[in-house]
Amino acid sequence: MIPPIAEIGLVRESIEISPNLWDISIEAPRLASVTRAGQFAHVRVSAGFDPFLRRPLSIGPIAGDVLRLIFHIRGEGTRLLAAKRSGDTIDLIGPLGHPINVPKGHNPIIFLTGGIGVVPLQILDDQMPKERERVFILGVRSAFTIPLSLSEAMQRNILWASDDGSLGYHGNTVQLLKNVVDGLSADKKPLVIACGPAGMLRGMKKFCIERNIPSLVSLEVPMGCGVGACQSCAVPRSDGKGYYLVCKDGPVFDCLDILLETASLP
Amino acid sequence: MTTDFNVAMSGLNFRTPLLTGSGTFGYGDEFLSLIDYAPFGGIVTKSLSVRPRPGNPPPRICETPGGGVINSIGLANPGVEAFLAEKAGILPVKETKVFLSIFGETVEEFVTVMSRLETLEGISGYELNLSCPNVKQGGISIGGDSSAIAETVRECRNITDKFIAVKLTPHHTQVAPLAEAAAKNGASALTMINTLVGMMIDVETRMPLLGTVTGGYSGLPLKPVALAKVWQASKAVDIPIWASGGIVNGLDCIEFLLAGATGLQLGSVLFADPYSPGRILEEMDDYCRRHGVKSVEELIGALEKP
Ligand SMILES: Cc1cc2nc3c(=O)[nH]c(=O)nc-3n(C[C@H](O)[C@H](O)[C@H](O)COP(=O)(O)OP(=O)(O)OC[C@H]3O[C@@H](n4cnc5c(N)ncnc54)[C@H](O)[C@@H]3O)c2cc1C
Ligand SMILES: Cc1cc2nc3c(=O)[nH]c(=O)nc-3n(C[C@H](O)[C@H](O)[C@H](O)COP(=O)(O)O)c2cc1C
Ligand code: FES
Repeated sequence: MIPPIAEIGLVRESIEISPNLWDISIEAPRLASVTRAGQFAHVRVSAGFDPFLRRPLSIGPIAGDVLRLIFHIRGEGTRLLAAKRSGDTIDLIGPLGHPINVPKGHNPIIFLTGGIGVVPLQILDDQMPKERERVFILGVRSAFTIPLSLSEAMQRNILWASDDGSLGYHGNTVQLLKNVVDGLSADKKPLVIACGPAGMLRGMKKFCIERNIPSLVSLEVPMGCGVGACQSCAVPRSDGKGYYLVCKDGPVFDCLDILLETASLP
Repeated sequence: MTTDFNVAMSGLNFRTPLLTGSGTFGYGDEFLSLIDYAPFGGIVTKSLSVRPRPGNPPPRICETPGGGVINSIGLANPGVEAFLAEKAGILPVKETKVFLSIFGETVEEFVTVMSRLETLEGISGYELNLSCPNVKQGGISIGGDSSAIAETVRECRNITDKFIAVKLTPHHTQVAPLAEAAAKNGASALTMINTLVGMMIDVETRMPLLGTVTGGYSGLPLKPVALAKVWQASKAVDIPIWASGGIVNGLDCIEFLLAGATGLQLGSVLFADPYSPGRILEEMDDYCRRHGVKSVEELIGALEKP
């Protein structure tokens, strides 16, 4: 793994793709050239120290020197970030965490994403060899809150699930996952890679254990340093040997290694 | 930069007064690619205990409006043996002074950890953490009792000739008796202060933001408290004071020097701005030039009376 680098990126474009959902394109050649799917950036949101901490955000799709951060406005930090405009600079540390390592011998790879959880898996979709079979599930509240541009949504061949039935399957992503798995022929050996709300991840883990399907999860927890120095980002290990650090050991874990059932996930 | 940043403390020369705050910098390796060691006079590592400590139940960190951070790490560390086996080799002992922070639940535990660490080469000394708010035993409970402080420092002094800083809690109105107990029993410096006990609640869910409900409050809001404690301690004892609490820029450092500090610890600021050490020295240099100050030592305790 390459050690974290610091880069001052230049905002190229900032778009509100749906209410409170922002997509910022940032010219950051060093980060763009080394980042791999699953890694994140620790982003300075204020020029001063209020709010004090950086915000961890997945590094989204990369094109040439430009990477994207796609995020929901949740509080003050993401609000400040959404106020960045073309020509502004942005202080980034990255790429942090381990890239997603997709184990061999599985097909299809099922991306199970909810809302903004789609971001890290978009790069994986882009970086995975084209011949690998994949199914891309994305759950949203409604057709009006999709975390992608229309052209991207088309290009990715997504199976949609929506809470209100306004787009694709009417119901949650885990139910749709079950339908997808039930439809696979017996010789298939699927692998699920999931990122999204805690409820979805827990439901997915339970289902995958019942069906004996291996699964990976990308986790979000509050962070201090982002580089493994402060021990703020702990998640409980299922072997009872204390905690893993999401920034250093993750952010992607084998579901079986983490006590997702009791982990505190925002 | 034209200012002379060298400071002498209890027989050691530090190339600058800047140090890291224990627990915000790990053992130095994680930040290697981001932080330049050159601006630091020394680093203080994450507190080590006899046995490994897994740490507190998450969430372990939250923010407060106004630039504060509250943590509940619970002194998670690999224990002194694993540290010696895995981490000790990576410390930059040649170029930078290294101080190993020690935590114990009892006086014996402090002594046990220190005697194991005494086997290491190139270490300049220790910081005794007598003030962690996030653990049930040890920490504040030893650090609030001057006879327990006296005994811990005396026993540790018996086994080392190296520098011993003693880190105290802000949770006592009378600083002098605690400071004197450390100074009279062989402390080389006092670190003022560890975090304050603090707490945040999410009113929507009625849940505390930390797994242990309360935690240690650091960042901008801690600075006035730390300044007052540094000033009180510097009046009470003759040994140098290491300031810790809310330092984010050069003028914060000048304030602490004027209040009587000789060492200046950068803590939470390293999370937001790992490049702050270089910036802070430049800001101090700028102040010194504006005020005709040739050496930062001229500023230590140079507070004007109101
Ligand atoms: C590895 C990783 C990748 C992430 N990728 C994305 C992404 O691509 N898009 C996106 O919208 N969000 C992502 N998040 C979540 C994002 O970090 C939070 O939404 C953001 O920090 C909220 O900050 P705020 O100031 O707006 O909210 P506030 O609630 O005001 O934040 C207060 C504090 O809590 C922390 N916090 C709050 N919610 C979260 C959370 N869910 N996860 C971690 N810390 C939190 C903040 O960092 C801050 O320190 C990711 C988190 C992690 C750990
Ligand atoms: C995440 C975190 C972990 C800490 N761990 C320790 C520790 O192990 N030992 C210790 O003596 N102080 C510890 N501290 C306290 C800091 O060293 C420092 O005294 C405090 O944060 C105040 O300074 P600041 O406002 O500059 O951060 C920790 C602080 C933070 C934020
Ligand atoms: S955020 Fe500091 S160790 Fe993970």
